[in-house]
Amino acid sequence: MQLADRGAVSRFGTPLVVAVVAVLVGIGLTVGLNGYFAYLGVSVVVAAIALLGLGVVTGSAGMISLCQLTFGAIGAWVVSALNVAHAPGGFLFWLLLGGLAAGVVGVLIGLPALRLRGINLAVVTLGLAAAADVTLVEIQFPGTTEGVSVDRPSLVADDNAYFLLCVIVLIVCALLVHFLRRGPWGSSWAAVAFSERGTAAAGASVRTAKLSAFAVSATLGGISGGLLTAQVGFAFPTSFAPLQSLALYVLAIMSGAHLIDMAVFGAVLWVAVPELLKRWGVPQDWGYVIFGLLGIQALAGRGNLGTAIRELWRRRSRASAGVQITALDEEPPRLPPGEPVLVVRGLSVTFGQVKALSGVDLAVPKGGVLGVIGPNGAGKSTLVDAISGFLPQAQGTVELADRPLTGDPTQRARSGLRRTFQQDRVPSGLTIEAYVRFVARRRPPAAEVAAALEFFGCPPAATPLDRVDVGARRLVEVVGHLMAKPQVLLLDEPAAGLPHEEHVAFGERLRQVPARFGVSVLIIEHDLDLVRSVCDTLTVLDFGEVLASGPQAEVLADPAVLKAYLGETEML
Amino acid sequence: MVQGALAGLAAGGLYAVLAVCLTLMSRLVRVVNFAQAATGMFGSYVGVALSVHGGLPEWLAVVLGVLLGGVLSVLIGWVVSTWLAEAGTGTRSAVTVAVLLLLISLSFILFGNKPQPFQALLAGPAFTVGGVVISQVTVVTVALAVVIAFAARLILTKTPVGISLRALSERPTTAELLGIPAKRLSAAVWGATGLISTVIIVIVAPSQSNDATSLSMLVVPAAAAALLGGFRRLDLAVAGGLVLGMLQGALAQVDQLSVVRNFVPFLAIVGLLVWSQRKEVWDAAR
Repeated sequence: MQLADRGAVSRFGTPLVVAVVAVLVGIGLTVGLNGYFAYLGVSVVVAAIALLGLGVVTGSAGMISLCQLTFGAIGAWVVSALNVAHAPGGFLFWLLLGGLAAGVVGVLIGLPALRLRGINLAVVTLGLAAAADVTLVEIQFPGTTEGVSVDRPSLVADDNAYFLLCVIVLIVCALLVHFLRRGPWGSSWAAVAFSERGTAAAGASVRTAKLSAFAVSATLGGISGGLLTAQVGFAFPTSFAPLQSLALYVLAIMSGAHLIDMAVFGAVLWVAVPELLKRWGVPQDWGYVIFGLLGIQALAGRGNLGTAIRELWRRRSRASAGVQITALDEEPPRLPPGEPVLVVRGLSVTFGQVKALSGVDLAVPKGGVLGVIGPNGAGKSTLVDAISGFLPQAQGTVELADRPLTGDPTQRARSGLRRTFQQDRVPSGLTIEAYVRFVARRRPPAAEVAAALEFFGCPPAATPLDRVDVGARRLVEVVGHLMAKPQVLLLDEPAAGLPHEEHVAFGERLRQVPARFGVSVLIIEHDLDLVRSVCDTLTVLDFGEVLASGPQAEVLADPAVLKAYLGETEML
Repeated sequence: MVQGALAGLAAGGLYAVLAVCLTLMSRLVRVVNFAQAATGMFGSYVGVALSVHGGLPEWLAVVLGVLLGGVLSVLIGWVVSTWLAEAGTGTRSAVTVAVLLLLISLSFILFGNKPQPFQALLAGPAFTVGGVVISQVTVVTVALAVVIAFAARLILTKTPVGISLRALSERPTTAELLGIPAKRLSAAVWGATGLISTVIIVIVAPSQSNDATSLSMLVVPAAAAALLGGFRRLDLAVAGGLVLGMLQGALAQVDQLSVVRNFVPFLAIVGLLVWSQRKEVWDAAR
């Protein structure tokens, strides 16, 4: 209980304390800065909010967005239009509406982006930025030509007071981003940046992850545009030109804007570099050249400024954590296998002319472990893909606990069928704890997570995943899915990546999974020692067809199976 | 409308040539080069500066500018293929976003942000069809687009160099192990597309809004055109460029639709992507 309380305090307390300190610093700066510096300070805040947004979409969710200031222009447009129309509510309310309008446009742009990844999204957003720029120059913002300026609220009319208001808005935005990133959305952003398949297999919607990242980022862009409008009094197209959006993107990359402090640091650079160049009599465009060069360096994986600075004052050990797993002393308890819980009938998959699976039947008994073996190319991984919904063209039926299992992988994961992958699908941006919570789709008690991690010999929950080696990551993946308490878990070669001595120890634990976690298991495995020690029943695939199926001993003695495996050293 | 469409053909040819360059880059060196048009812009600006301020004869200035465009492109390619040899298309292309920013800013520093006094290399009408005048620029850009696309296709399918290039793009490491000079070939691709982009921009710039940003942003309609061929098919890239130019030209005839015209490349991009990616559900192969 005490532990849980302390967790809650550090979860909510620390950010709030930082926020209060930030407000105090803001007040201090307001007193200390003269008018011009306060004005520059507002520019820093405006850029910081835009960069926070880019940190979400580009830094966390891994999508290239080149139109952040177009969203700013939408916010500015809404604020200007409401001002011209003398709409009720006042500036702060308009600011919020501007942000929301930009968020809505962000979702609309993001909708086609659902199927688009990487570079296509960059093309779309650059296209939007270019089109919006030409159009804004043509039609101008409301009130600009008539000279109707957006006035600051009377309470914050002078630059210093307005700066404080902006700082408070920034802090609210930063808190919002912080808590969103800690929550399920944030984990799904990190997951989708690493692997869409992994995200869907965790029962999270890839669509929601992408759209929410885009919407949050656009909303922040809109708010920064609204603040800029009241800073200057008028919105001008030049403030939102595509070149500036490009520069902001590059700045977000080079400063590492997915970290909130680095977004603020990037914003300081954004304002300070041109300002210093101006004072030294150097053309300000050199600022973009510097950003461009540092951006190329960061993009080329030569490290960005943000992480470099963090490393300086937080010298963490970079040693990687691995699996510590030893054999058990006693024979693990077994459940007597019950009725089939997962039933597959007539499953067929064709890729063009190739029949990867034809008419496969199999059943996973409740409380049991079914092993699927077969030579390379027998269709084992295709089988897992088809059952878990990644191959919509698959024919045949899959039933989970007597109910037909249909829909996309997200839906299937939510109905109680989980899977892991042969390749690493664990996003490195999270801690083990955050990842397990994300995959479990709930907040399991810390003790439960710790016990499960220890059971599989994984590093402790607070370890960042980028310090966990591949073998351990794959077991963390298994633990996460077990915490989700599915009815059936499909494991695609979970022991690959572990040293061979640890296969058996791992197998002993796997053997206990049905009794300990209440989860039935289908496992694909090459290591026949592991298969022998873990599986009650076996299904053998060969050229996409079931060669044999039944109790382990019978199947392994089957002459047809022996023949199919002849020459495979594992059997000799 | 028809008149407008034919007038838009010059821009269409420009888009088509750039789209062919983008397609070749995407296929052969796994980069969507956002700095494709900017490289051409920079080379052609240097050409203008050499002739106007440097006093060089115009033909020499143009040749030097074009060569610079090629060298610049090779340089970018060198950075990408050295530092990001194993990276995916996304990361490799993101670097060119930074290069785009860099080139525009550099041109502001060197040449100011006013449009440059380009000398028209080609001027005047070529011929008249049914009362509509077709300019020399139109003829040359459209012809260039078609010729380059054909030549590229021939080189890629019929010559040993082309076959090496295709091997290189499909399986870079394997190709290198087979003894294909990966670096030299990809430098050649970067150089060739840099030269072509600069040539086409030198030809068209006098009749375009030719400030650094506008010229560099030509990559947007070019990308829209290249998307029609899915960044893979050269013929469709050419067709896409021509259709896009004609569409914009036709829309320019109607004053009320001028805002729509600005958004045509963007809408084309979104439409084509949504359509072409409708079956692409998952990111990685498995």
